Amino acid sequence: MISFEAGEEQQLIQQSVAEFARSTLAPRVREFEKARGIPEDVRRGAHEMGLGLMSLPEACGGQGLGYVAAALVEEELGAADPAVAFALPGPGAFGRAVVELGTAAQASAWLSDFASDGGDARFGAVAWSEPSPCKDRPGFVAVATKVDGGYSLRGKKAFVTNAHAADRFLVFAQVEPEKGWAGIGAFVVRKDNAGLTVGQRYDTLGLDAADFGEIALNDAFVAEEDRLLGEAGGFTQATLRFFAKQAIIVAARAVGLARFAFDIAREHCDTRKAFGKPIGHFQAVAFSLADRHMDVESSRWMVWKAAHAWDAKIPEREALLATAQAAAHALESCMRTTDDCVGLHGGSGFIRDLIAEKLMRDAKQLALCCPTAEQLDQVAAALDLGLALDPALVLPTPDTQAIFT
Amino acid sequence: MIDFSLSPKQREIQEGIRSLGKYVIRPMSLSMDRNKEVPESFLRNFMKLAKGFRSDDVIDPLEEGASPRERDPSKPSKVSEVNRTSAIAAEELAWADAAMLLSVPGPGLGGPPIRATGTAEQKARFFGAFKDMDKGPLKWGAYALTEPGAGSDVAGIRTSCRKDGSDWVLNGRKCYITNGARASWNVVFATVDPALGRAGHRAFVVEKGTPGFEIGKIEEKMGLRANETAELVLEDCRVPEENLLGGEAAYITKEGFMTAMKTFDNTRPLVGAMALGIGRAAFEYARDFVKENYVLSRPIPRYAAIAERLAKVGRRLEAARSLVYRATYMADAAIPNAKEASMAKAAAGQAAIFSCIESIELCGAHGSLSTEHALLEKWFRDIKVYDIFEGTGNIQRVVISKRLMSGLKAF
Repeated sequence: MISFEAGEEQQLIQQSVAEFARSTLAPRVREFEKARGIPEDVRRGAHEMGLGLMSLPEACGGQGLGYVAAALVEEELGAADPAVAFALPGPGAFGRAVVELGTAAQASAWLSDFASDGGDARFGAVAWSEPSPCKDRPGFVAVATKVDGGYSLRGKKAFVTNAHAADRFLVFAQVEPEKGWAGIGAFVVRKDNAGLTVGQRYDTLGLDAADFGEIALNDAFVAEEDRLLGEAGGFTQATLRFFAKQAIIVAARAVGLARFAFDIAREHCDTRKAFGKPIGHFQAVAFSLADRHMDVESSRWMVWKAAHAWDAKIPEREALLATAQAAAHALESCMRTTDDCVGLHGGSGFIRDLIAEKLMRDAKQLALCCPTAEQLDQVAAALDLGLALDPALVLPTPDTQAIFT
Repeated sequence: MIDFSLSPKQREIQEGIRSLGKYVIRPMSLSMDRNKEVPESFLRNFMKLAKGFRSDDVIDPLEEGASPRERDPSKPSKVSEVNRTSAIAAEELAWADAAMLLSVPGPGLGGPPIRATGTAEQKARFFGAFKDMDKGPLKWGAYALTEPGAGSDVAGIRTSCRKDGSDWVLNGRKCYITNGARASWNVVFATVDPALGRAGHRAFVVEKGTPGFEIGKIEEKMGLRANETAELVLEDCRVPEENLLGGEAAYITKEGFMTAMKTFDNTRPLVGAMALGIGRAAFEYARDFVKENYVLSRPIPRYAAIAERLAKVGRRLEAARSLVYRATYMADAAIPNAKEASMAKAAAGQAAIFSCIESIELCGAHGSLSTEHALLEKWFRDIKVYDIFEGTGNIQRVVISKRLMSGLKAF
């Protein structure tokens, strides 16, 4: 039965994360931004709460709470600081990708130690995008060549979240160049691999406390058993599932960010007076707020619905469609809401004394941290039209918009 | 638990109406629109086929039902999923034919105010009228609020009422009343003194045949042509005091106006659901047209533009649907939902208009051919009023704004 009421366990988790976000994160947002990272005490606190492990299956050290619980948690983090959500320790996107693409044994081998001692300083990363598209054939520029006992990886990967903090990477590279986007593979590469170098850290528009960078692979050897084959449903389908779940997480953060932006905009319109009354008492202002309120609420319900679709194991195409629609809507709504938040503040919205400007920068950055709204719309259209899920069409390949992973 | 799956009963209703819509109603849609009428024989047949999931079966009118606003939130209320189920049914029926849905016999929009404010005797009497429809004549109820001089500004109605002996005497005009001419009774709003504003409002059940109650003109409309929209004229119309909704005691406070408004908390999400039905119909039509007729493999950039446009329509409908479900969930849980009801209505009306406009564009020149693709043209005409009746999009935003801003009584 359709219900919008979180279960008891979900409510408890949501409340404790909301409290952590309110007391530990929110007062220090500008400090994290300036430091371009989060300090050890915050990392430890998050690790003790198990924040990075909630949606991971129990078999690999996670709590197995599912994506609805994850959406509730990520919204709370996003409402305090979406940059921190990326900077908290844990397997993150790497964990979600390994669960979808690896066997149970591989997932357990690569993820179990995140829950143990030292987990508060452990990060994983996914290396998907590249500095520029491959012009002479479809597929990645980076290649994985078969060698004795495994593969040799060569090439540059770009827009990697936690590139500097991660001690393990899931690297996507071209295995069979003649097969185009159907010929790609995924490999786990350790940071201590002699062939791996971590490159520069980017200066970005927003999400300053999150670490985005590049890695280079120079004949990095990966053993056969560290290739993830995505056997369940095929590699394209498994990769698409990973991006869908990543999109739910990012979209939930966007809902939180939009909620916070809406709240401070509403508060400002309630208290700021012009022409003898609060500016929210003018229709042009109030109606913008009403529209953004609809954006924020509908985004939340859609993200919940998409998360529930995966938890309830409804047919995969339906879950993918719900996810693509939810994430595209949430990312665009978040941008509109933070944009209006700055606008409704007037000049002060543009000044860094207030938080509004950061929210707007973060919103745009966030929209690039999972498949973009355009890419998600392509996935939704392919599903609507009953087309085959061609990897060149449904995966967020760097042929067009590159994304952060 | 957070859940988005339908209950078995809801799934049964959805599937039942969907196939009835596809095989029985939709094939009649264009001829009903042309003839500006839903034939009685067809309605009778529909009532028989739809037995079990008609609104009068889903909602028990004699149930102690109240709008969320008047319930005491501290008291647990009976768990009901009536509003959610009605939204699901309304979307499916509107998908088939929206004018037909509005023409289905029963109390219609006149039901909610009686359910919310009527005395037990009034509920029994006015809802009782629909009991024998399976054998006897088909009957309708209607809701008469709008006047030539007062639409969105409900407080500005001028239809007067004055007590004379044991009767009330009503004078004035009501317009754009859905099923108003054929209705067995209309819930008519009038005022004892316009200077009193909302406190002066009274709601009456005016029965067909009451001396002084006349039907004015039947409107020609842009869309929903098969459904009757009537003007009502009240000239020294004498209504017995037992037809004053809720009795005199109900009007000691501002209750009269609140009767008019309370109705909307439950009906607006349903009107939103109907809009989604039309929007979804257009979306699916365009989607299937694209699928069957277009060359999707080349050139890719042009496919992408079509695909993106289609996907945007799909997700905007889905966003609105989430607000409709949210508002009906709150109504079922007896949580005050005036803001959410308005959000559902505003978002759904506009998403569906967007869908109907985009769908024609997506089909290209073909889409405007009213012979081959007459349904698209019909939905384009039908949908616009969903951002007008039951409160325009702007009025919904007024309702939402008042609940967002502190101390905002009026703009």
